[in-house]
Amino acid sequence: MQEVLSVRGVSKAYPGVTALEDVSLSLRPGEIRAICGENGAGKSTFVKILMGIVQPDSGSIDINGQTQVVRGPQQAQSMGLGLVAQELSLAPHLSILDNIWLGSAEVPFLHRRASFRVRAKQALETLGLTDWDLDRPVSSLTVGQRQLIEIARLLARDARVLILDEPTATLSDADIERILGILKGLRTQGRSIIYITHRLGEVFELCDSITVLRNGQHVATQPVSETTREGLVEMMLGRSFEDMYPKAPAHADQSVRVVVEGLDVPGTLNKFSMTAPRGRIVCIAGQIGSGANMVTRALAGLVPSATGSVTVDGRPMRLGSVPHAVARNVLFVSDDRAAEGLFPQMTVLDNLIATRLDASARMGVLSWPALRRMAASLAERVGVDRHRLKSQSIALSGGNQQKLLFGRALASADAGVLLMNEPTRGIDVGARAEIYRIMRELCDLGSTLIMTSSDLEEVVGIADIVITLYRGNVVARYEDEAIAMSSILADITHPTQAVA
Amino acid sequence: MTERSTAGADSAGSVAADPLRARFDRARVFSWAQTIGIVVLLAIIFATPGFLAGPSILSLLTTVSFIGCVAIGMTLITISGNIMSFALGATVGVTAMVFILAVNWLGFGPGLVVGLLIGSLLTGLQGLLIGWVRANPIIVSIAALALIYGVTQAFTEKGTIYADPGTVPASVKGKIAGIPIEFIVFLLSAVVAQLILSATRFGRNLFMVGSSFRAAEAVGVSTWRTVTGAYLWAGFFTSLAGIMLAIRYDSANMDYGVAYDYDAIAAVLVGGTAIGGGQGSALRTLAGAMVIASVQVMLLLQGLRQEWQYLAAGLIVLAVIILQARGSGR
Repeated sequence: MQEVLSVRGVSKAYPGVTALEDVSLSLRPGEIRAICGENGAGKSTFVKILMGIVQPDSGSIDINGQTQVVRGPQQAQSMGLGLVAQELSLAPHLSILDNIWLGSAEVPFLHRRASFRVRAKQALETLGLTDWDLDRPVSSLTVGQRQLIEIARLLARDARVLILDEPTATLSDADIERILGILKGLRTQGRSIIYITHRLGEVFELCDSITVLRNGQHVATQPVSETTREGLVEMMLGRSFEDMYPKAPAHADQSVRVVVEGLDVPGTLNKFSMTAPRGRIVCIAGQIGSGANMVTRALAGLVPSATGSVTVDGRPMRLGSVPHAVARNVLFVSDDRAAEGLFPQMTVLDNLIATRLDASARMGVLSWPALRRMAASLAERVGVDRHRLKSQSIALSGGNQQKLLFGRALASADAGVLLMNEPTRGIDVGARAEIYRIMRELCDLGSTLIMTSSDLEEVVGIADIVITLYRGNVVARYEDEAIAMSSILADITHPTQAVA
Repeated sequence: MTERSTAGADSAGSVAADPLRARFDRARVFSWAQTIGIVVLLAIIFATPGFLAGPSILSLLTTVSFIGCVAIGMTLITISGNIMSFALGATVGVTAMVFILAVNWLGFGPGLVVGLLIGSLLTGLQGLLIGWVRANPIIVSIAALALIYGVTQAFTEKGTIYADPGTVPASVKGKIAGIPIEFIVFLLSAVVAQLILSATRFGRNLFMVGSSFRAAEAVGVSTWRTVTGAYLWAGFFTSLAGIMLAIRYDSANMDYGVAYDYDAIAAVLVGGTAIGGGQGSALRTLAGAMVIASVQVMLLLQGLRQEWQYLAAGLIVLAVIILQARGSGR
């Protein structure tokens, strides 16, 4: 059977970063292909190249056996390619009909023909939505229904290849089931789908074959029937699961270090309580808006409106003051490295010692030899090249920048409490493994780590204790063997069942 | 599989190296352009007839000191991430006035203390507004400028006030080892400021606040104290300029210090302190002030009027700002 889409040897480099290197992919009619990979693996660059949003440096794209140069999204549409992007791209105040034809190259300027109405109706019927009123404003629809309009939009334009980028990320289970059912229906009509997702369950339920990308390179393409879940994860990571996430030998002393009671942040967090023992990694899991990242920010003293009682090593800690938290050896590693972490123009050395100036100052005068020694040993501990101490910190790679921030947070002789939001966001796989290793080392030394992450794979892999949050309320707490992806996912998406 | 993963690691390594190289290249172009510019300037300056003659060198060393002390203060404000102050020139004037009044009333020593205090406090108060209330630094400095002029004009009708004869000792007006005292004060100021910047905790905090305000807060730096401190010191160095002017002329006038803000920021920028904050040095401002003052003296010697000096300073500032923007890739 002739391939509907064939991509050969596509490469794309941005200044300083190779986003894609020699990636090929071919798709048969009626095939659903999953594209899997970590953040930064090159998935979104690949989609942008297919849709002509980005031009590849090399390689070629064949559509229905013809080599094509895709110059932009409208041209991609006319060749039968359609994209449902990660973020919804609907105009909420316009009607369903208007949204379906929004941005189409076919529609003449200021003109509505009856045929467009008919084709929009047909597209909705294909999805089984026979009773929808085309003139309803999109703002009256639920998120799941809006996602269906996005798909209907592609069908109305007769897309033969549908590219769906994380279509279920924000949907409820019922909506996901519905979408998956609809996609299976499209397969039987001979339409091909490129399905990009983080949710491996959907890959195994829906897709025929899998392409794995890692660090911009093609790792493997194989049928789903020949793939196991563990195998897929290992292909994505480039190493075994155990290798990636070192497990903790139980720390001898597991006394409770941090006690949080009734932590309130108006509007985001509601009576949050928890305890965190020595030598363990506590992960607060929740979706965006759940308030998970507020817990760490409040403990760091960065939320002035936070109230509640917190004790660290038996001593009460006042909320809302960073210097006070630092004095209690409670240190924060921000998820926003550029704006809240690095001092970009300052040297690696300056960045490493940022929290420890007090310790090396007498009457406000610094002892540079002591600071240099401290910076050198910190650099060694977190695996930053000592010769880079004099470089500007902005010149480091993302992974090295993150290690730098870790180093800054351990610049104390005593094992402290580390607060981290999304510790591996935007970091490639190799550096991630190293960051997990450092996290475990800190635990061995008696530190307590409290982190948040939206990457469930990471939560399950690294955490010793998981606390799930939904809309500012704690749903459940899991420890060690009780930590499972399915229950965490259930908790953070629909808490009522878990609570009941 | 294993081969693939090592290839991946290699590419990650080169990924890290490339932007580094690009940035270094830009920085190198910037510093080369700066060096060439300064060399060319110096060549023109020294080729100007009469420049190397004793009197003009001495007058250069004296004039550069007044602007220079203001520029040292401005350096701290710029490093703290608050761009510049428009009120330092007015602070020079008001310090000179208060100093003369205090000297006439209390004597020289107490007058010195009062003068330094008034300059430091006036500017430190602006720092408090900027650091604590998070008010816009430019607006605060413009408001302070208007307030300082308004209040002093309400109190002094005559314009110029004079020191009573004999109140200012002759010993502070001379030279030490042939070098004007003003210039020695300027040199000492630069050294002290540099020590504050690089050898104290406050100095490091200042760089951190200027480099990234939010990151500084997140590591526990008391940002409002740091900003207030920067302005206090800026006021201190600025009031040195005011006092030295008053001593030199045995009088004070609010016109002392007019346009000093502008020459000072020119010196700061020519010295290579980043306008965005977080980077810079007092010693380099010293060099920058020398360059700016040399250009002005040269223009005078070439027989060009005052307007040309403004034009030259304006062009130099523009050139440096453009170079800085290119250099940092913004």
